[in-house]
Amino acid sequence: MEAIWLYQFRLIVIGDSTVGKSCLIRRFTEGRFAQVSDPTVGVDFFSRLVEIEPGKRIKLQIWDTAGQERFRSITRAYYRNSVGGLLLFDITNRRSFQNVHEWLEETKVHVQPYQIVFVLVGHKCDLDTQRQVTRHEAEKLAAAYGMKYIETSARDAINVEKAFTDLTRDIYELVKRGDITIQEGWEGVKSGFVPNVVHSSEEVVKSERRCLC
Amino acid sequence: MCRWSPNAARVAVCRRSPNAAPVAVCRRSPNAADVAMCFLAEELRKLSWSGIPKPVRPMTWKLLSGYLPANVDRRPATLQRKQKEYFAFIEHYYDSRNDDVHQDTYRQIHIDIPRMSPEALILQPKVTEIFERILFIWAIRHPASGYVQGINDLVTPFFVVFMCEHIEEEDVDAADVSRVPADVLRNVEADTYWCMSKLLDGIQDNYTFAQPGIQMKVKMLEELVSRIDEQVHRHLDQHEVRYLQFAFRWMNNLLMREVPLHCTVRLWDTYQSEPDGFSHFHLYVCAAFLVRWRKEILEERDFQELLLFLQNLPTAHWGNEDISLLLAEAYRLKFAFADAPNHYKK
Repeated sequence: MEAIWLYQFRLIVIGDSTVGKSCLIRRFTEGRFAQVSDPTVGVDFFSRLVEIEPGKRIKLQIWDTAGQERFRSITRAYYRNSVGGLLLFDITNRRSFQNVHEWLEETKVHVQPYQIVFVLVGHKCDLDTQRQVTRHEAEKLAAAYGMKYIETSARDAINVEKAFTDLTRDIYELVKRGDITIQEGWEGVKSGFVPNVVHSSEEVVKSERRCLC
Repeated sequence: MCRWSPNAARVAVCRRSPNAAPVAVCRRSPNAADVAMCFLAEELRKLSWSGIPKPVRPMTWKLLSGYLPANVDRRPATLQRKQKEYFAFIEHYYDSRNDDVHQDTYRQIHIDIPRMSPEALILQPKVTEIFERILFIWAIRHPASGYVQGINDLVTPFFVVFMCEHIEEEDVDAADVSRVPADVLRNVEADTYWCMSKLLDGIQDNYTFAQPGIQMKVKMLEELVSRIDEQVHRHLDQHEVRYLQFAFRWMNNLLMREVPLHCTVRLWDTYQSEPDGFSHFHLYVCAAFLVRWRKEILEERDFQELLLFLQNLPTAHWGNEDISLLLAEAYRLKFAFADAPNHYKK
């Protein structure tokens, strides 16, 4: 039996190779941490329900992408149909932080005419002694791009729930306000099955989705 | 009747009939020998198609891949030359792994090896180093593709099969590589490098820019499935499941992530016996593999469940019989389409 959910959001998780994208998603969707995990090739799919308010559930479909450059021709096809994204870097790997800008540029080109609501995630925060990126500079960068910043650890289950739920909540607010609208031919947001509830302002709008660019 | 004998990998003992003289006797003149070798190579392929017995697998794989010459007399010299050549590459290139031009390649390989499927064997430091050297040398000698994740998986079957010759343990994963003599390990490393190179020669466009080989094969798979099982094809389409979403990995990693390692080894017996096994025949195997799950696929009634199922197929307990069935079905498909490209056409 299909669980009842208000909306379905498609999220994409991007960032350099080995910043911990798959581990973060597995912690979130399966509640476990795998010491070793094969490098992701192409794109993997995950899913989970989250409750953002009592009785209000959102179904998340999460695309886990390969970080290696060679897979870009495959992974970029998934940007367009995503409403939200987690952009990861590894706090112990300065280079992965320096590449954040490049990742944003990469998505911007391929997501047109839509836009993805991103959160910047500083991952592996349990390895604080090896930190190469300060929280301050990460926050500054995130602010410059109009993103929120959060630090997470899949190993110690720090902020994993929060990273996904906060992003989901932010998208939900944008949908509620009508800043993001459901459109045919776009998979980013879909309306769910909610018996006896009329979505007032959240009703399906078939007109052009407003571009936030 | 040709069949595996205890010493079959020497090929020369394979007989046409119980009465025929051992083919080795044919080696009287160069011409006769050549003819005999061709005949033997063909026989060896036929035999290997249905699975190679473990004791003769290392030798047979080296023969089938074209690494080892069919001519028995030429084998020791060839092996020695190739092993020397490989270690000359190491000498020449390996120190450059930390140079600006190569450091990205090396870094990626270095972090990928320890996080491969938890095979205890691969996690041993000596083995990790071997894998790194093999992949690095291959990558810088093939700049059009370089190192692409997934290629690392392709080292494992060769390495495991070639190691089997030199360890006592039944389970290769339990073997302690540090007990294997250094020169033996060196030979295994060189043999693995060359056999993997031969394999990759046939599928390099899987890993070049934009991965055209994979794109094309996934399209061909879709076309094939639409003809052999329209119901499955329509079901996937109706639920907006795209072939690229699940079959990309099937092509990029040659199904190695979908079945246990011992099944891959058995699969490769056949791939190496088929012309263009890793590129062309693999396509039919993928089609048979998808249709193998038709009942489960047709029971799933939503995008999410379908994709989750297709990305996590329940093959953990698969054995040789499962692979044999899969291969038989793939062969049937190939046969049906080889001479009739329009067969089943809508």
